[in-house]
Order: sequence, then C-alpha cells, then structure tokens
Amino acid sequence: MYERILIPTDGSDTAAAAVDEALDVAEKFDAEVYTLYVVDVDAMDLSLGTEQVERVKAGRFGEMDELEAKARAATEYVAERGRERGVDVAEHFRAGRPHDVVADFAEDHDVDLLVMGSHGRSGVRRMLLGSVTERVLRSTHRSVLVVDERGTENREAE
Amino acid sequence: MTPLQLLPDALNASFKAVPAVMVSAMLLLFLGIGYVFRVADTEDLWVAGRSIGNVENGMAIGANWMSAASYLGMAALIALSGYYGLAYVVGWSTGYFILLIFLAAQMRRFGKYTAPDFVGDRFDSDAARAIAALTTILIGFVYSVGQARGMGLVGIYVFGGDYTTMVVLMMSITVGYLALSGMLGATKNMAVQYVILIVAFLAGLYAVGWTQGYSTILPHIEYGALLSELDSQFTEPFATDSFYLWVATAFSLIVGTCGLPHVLVRFYTVESERTARWSTVWGLFFICLLYWSAPAFAAFGTDLYANVVGPVYGANGMSGAEGDVIVVLASQLANLPEWFVGLVAAGGVAAAIATTAGLFISASSAAAHDIYTNIVNPDATQRQQLLIGRGTIVALGAVVTVTALDPPALVGELVALAFSLAGLVLFPMFFLGLWWENANRQGALAGMTTGLVIWTAAVLNELVLATDAGPVVPVYADVFPAVGAALAGTPIVFAVTIAVSLATEEPDERIKRIVRQCHSPEPMGQQESAEEVATDGGQVSAESQPSSDAESDGGPRRGE
Repeated sequence: MYERILIPTDGSDTAAAAVDEALDVAEKFDAEVYTLYVVDVDAMDLSLGTEQVERVKAGRFGEMDELEAKARAATEYVAERGRERGVDVAEHFRAGRPHDVVADFAEDHDVDLLVMGSHGRSGVRRMLLGSVTERVLRSTHRSVLVVDERGTENREAE
Repeated sequence: MTPLQLLPDALNASFKAVPAVMVSAMLLLFLGIGYVFRVADTEDLWVAGRSIGNVENGMAIGANWMSAASYLGMAALIALSGYYGLAYVVGWSTGYFILLIFLAAQMRRFGKYTAPDFVGDRFDSDAARAIAALTTILIGFVYSVGQARGMGLVGIYVFGGDYTTMVVLMMSITVGYLALSGMLGATKNMAVQYVILIVAFLAGLYAVGWTQGYSTILPHIEYGALLSELDSQFTEPFATDSFYLWVATAFSLIVGTCGLPHVLVRFYTVESERTARWSTVWGLFFICLLYWSAPAFAAFGTDLYANVVGPVYGANGMSGAEGDVIVVLASQLANLPEWFVGLVAAGGVAAAIATTAGLFISASSAAAHDIYTNIVNPDATQRQQLLIGRGTIVALGAVVTVTALDPPALVGELVALAFSLAGLVLFPMFFLGLWWENANRQGALAGMTTGLVIWTAAVLNELVLATDAGPVVPVYADVFPAVGAALAGTPIVFAVTIAVSLATEEPDERIKRIVRQCHSPEPMGQQESAEEVATDGGQVSAESQPSSDAESDGGPRRGE
C-alpha cells in the first residue's frame, strides 16, 4: 500500500518521536524510506544574517561546518534507527521554507506517506512557535501520519 | 538640542501625491524583486549555484553602508558645520582602506558567521562573545535612531503630517518590510537599493547644479568656485569646532568602520580572499561616488538657502532639522519639479531602509545565534531561532522608534556615536585578534569592558545627563567627545588588552595556529576556513564532499 515513505526531520525530539512508527510502517509494507532535513532560510536570515543565505544559494553549504554537522546528525539518527531494523534510509538535504520544501519533495519523489512528529502545543506557545507539521498538512495532498510526541512518551511509560 | 519643530515653509511640507506614489512604488519594487529572486528550494546544497561577483558585492557593501547618515546626514553636517563636516567624508572613506589592508581577507580566512562568533571563538570565551553580541545590538540601536530620524524628516516632506507620526510610520514600514521580505523568502536586494540611491543623489546634484548655474559636467570640482562666496563659517577650517575634535571624529569613524558588525559580515561569506579584497575596492568606489558629491550638494544647498530663505548661520540660521534634509531642501529651493524632488527623497528612504535592515539583522543574529543558540540553549531548533530573531527585531524597532521621537543629536552625529562604540569595543578585538596571536581571553575581556565604560561615560556625560550649560564633566568631554571618543579611547583599549594579555597566560596552541593560518601565504581552498586547516592539517575534509544520496536529488525526477 505504501511504497515510498518520507520522514522529515529537524533533529528535534519531536521529529524523533515519529521515526519508530514510520519505520514500523515501512517494514510492514517493505517501502522505500527517505529522510529529509530542510535548512530553514528564514531562520538562517535572522539568526546568521542575509549574507549566509546568499552563501547557501551559491551552493557553499559545505563551508558551514556547524550547520552541516547539525543537518547530518539529524538525518543520521533516522538512518541509524533504520539500520537497526534492516531498513535502508536515503538521506536528503534541501534549503527553503520547511513546509513548502517538504511538500515539494513529496511530489518530486512521489511519496505516498509522510510521517511527522507533533509537539502538541496549544494556545500561545503554538501561535508563537507554530507547527511545521500543521503547515505541511495544509500544503500537501499526500497522506500524512502525525505522531504526537506526548502520545509516544505515555506509551513508553506504560 | 535640536528643536523638532516642523520643517521650514520653504520645504512645503504637505502631502504630495507624486512623490508619495514614488516612495511607495520603490518599496514595492524592493519586495517584488526580493520575491522573484527568493531562495527557491535548493535541490542540492553542495553544488555551486550562482555566486555573487565583485561588482555586485561592492554594490551590496555600498548599500549596506550608505545610510541616511551618508545620504542626508553628511551633507547636513557640512552645511551646518562647514569644514568640520569633512571629517565625516575623510573618516568614512579611510576606514575602508584599513579594512582592505588589515582585515578583509584575514576575516575571510577565519571564516565564521557573525562578528561575535569571531570574538567568541578567537578568545575562546562565552563572556567575550556575549559582550560582543550586546555591543552589536547597542550599535544597531544607536545607528538606527539616526536612520529613523532621517526617514521621519523625509516622510514629513513626502506625506505631510507631523514628525511623531512619520517616525512611527516609517519605522513600521521598515519592520514590516523586514518581516515581509522574510516571509516572501526574499533576501535583501542590496544592488537595487544601491542603484536607486546613487541615481537619486547624483541626479539631484546635477539637476540643482545645472538649473542654478553652479555647475555643468563635474559639480564635484566646479563647486569650488562657490567657496569664496560662502560664509567663512562654511569654508574656514576649524572655525566652528576645534582641530582636536576634527581629528578625533575622523579617527573614530575610521576605526569604527572597521568594527561595524553589519559591514564585516559580508567578508566572512564571500567566495575567496581575492573576492574579499576586490569587493572592498568596488565597495569603496561605489561609496565614493556619493562621498565626492555630498560636499558639492551641501555647498549648493547652503548657497541657495542663503539666497532664498535667509542667513544660514546665527540665531535664526538653518535648524538641525532643516540641515538634515538639505539634500531634499536644495532640490526644492532650486524649483525642480515635484516628482524630481520626490526622487531625491525616495533615495533617502532607500538608503535608510537598506541600512536599517542590515543593522536589525545583525542585532537579531547577535540575539538568536550568538546569545541564544551559543550560550543559552545549544539545542535550539531553527524555529526557536526564528522566533528569537523576530522578537529582537520587533523589540528593537519599538525602542528605536520611541528614542527617535526626541533624538539627542543630528542624524550624522547619532551615527557617529555608533562608530565610536564600534571603534572602542570591537575594532581592537578584531585587529589584535587577527594580528597578535598572544592576545588572550583575559585581555579581550578587560579591553572590551574598558571600551564600553569609556563610551557609556562619554554619552552620559555629553548627551543624556548634560544640561543646557554643557557636559557634566567638561574636561572628560574635551578628551573623550562622544562622537570622537575613539581617538583617546581606542589606544587605551589596545594598551589594556595588550598589558593584560602579557600579564596572564598565553592562549593555547590551537588558537595560535588558527591566527597564523589567517595570514598564511599558502592559498586556502575555497571550501576551507582557518579552523579546518589548523585542525586537520590542510586536508580538505571528506565531509564537505557531496554525499552520494544528496546527489540523487539532482537526478532525474520520478514522474507523477
């Protein structure tokens, strides 16, 4: 049923919460698994400066060691969990606005299931920090499985 | 203190349809271009895309650099203070030579992201990083107050209304522009901003010179003929201010230029050291186009004012507010058509917005990257950084707006305060940090603290706590004038940093190697920074090679 599964990650615990469920599904359907890290250019503009965005635009991400290490650590986590269960995970990196890029990637690779974590914030915290997952839901026509971070914690505690 | 009454009748401050449309259209153009050239999804982060050349980099340096202070303030200072104003032209141009010779290429080799990053990593200290970050924010604040005042005054000319409304309106536009250009995924379009501001300024100068019979093809030289007719207060050296103040101001501006975070940031990111040097040369050329013109514009403006309005100097002379819009005022007094005066005004707004955007982003990165991510929460996600960055911009915008409602000085002077701060606190750290490997953490902390204390005392003494009778401690103001505190102060900061560094332990070998690498005659690969070379002995790290799976992104797409 599912042939290609995408696990977007930003290296946060929230994103990690989705990994196990995604791999469960992948194992069951013997699906191809992609993981994608998106360099958020808006965040980079305000935290490192516009000049750094130009640098990424020019394809010089390789010079930006710390960022590259962070990105690789995020996807490597997913790949490692996959290896533990014998699932191959292809790691991908792109830059742009996270939800747009995730939705575009899903189209480009004809992904039929996206699995994403959700922090389950509400109220002011949700308004301020927003939710990439929520935006992806609105920008893609593909199926999305949302894994609530707190839900997994509870299950683990049981 | 400058009385902030409305602009003179001569300026005809009321709503003008054509200039208002022009200014609005210009802002929309910036957004539009930003949108068209926004960062589209990058398919492969490691494959070279379009890189920015020397000329375009130079234009970006010019636009980032030339603010309302250059566009409006410099001519104002020359018009109001005559010869003293030249200290600004001299100081601001010379600064780039020091940058070119001592810092640009070395900064590139060090290869970090922000100015506080450099200070924090070079001196291996989060305290030093924090002081540098706070100084960056403080520079952004003082500098932007000058921009807000300039935009407010031009706003009155274009839209009418009173000063308060205009400052609030123009600052809202600036913050909104930053937010919107972020939302559109647009990066600032510096080259366009530069072209608009330089065309507006030069067109204004040529038109005024031509119609009033002052000049023909080279107003920059022809205005010399006018000098004998102008008041002696305009032409006589040191008539209004002392020799010491002139030298102190020029010196402050020179070292300040080399310490400004929003100027230096470009050098970390250019493609190579060669690009760093040539971009500086082009930047200096583009800046000089305006700087050669400003004294001529000021002379024309002053003469027109004397002929049409009344005496420039003395009790009923030109006010600070009039001086700050002398460029627009001169075009108006020369009876140029309204749309043309609108163009000159739009150029002023372009200059102010480009620089304010650069300053605000420097401040937001100091807060989000240097303080929050590096010190407070190393696990910060991109979204948290975005939130902190946006919060900083909004907060800074609000504080700047409030302060600009009753600013303590002229546009040019306010900006000079930011320069003396940069020259006192950051320049010595960059200079010693790059050129003397034994400069250490204790030295840096002592030096930066000394610089901050000297600057704060000078500002409190002369501007904040001063009464009508003058500064609180006149002697201190003589030695450390707020706009020129760096002349006496920077050598003190150097001395303190060196003395403390000598008295304490030398920095470890790793740091010394990084410093040496910044000067190594061995050309460094484009993908390397000094730290990498120093740690892995010149091997290009395998990690920077594209990984095979990343490459697959560039491959043929699967069909839908």
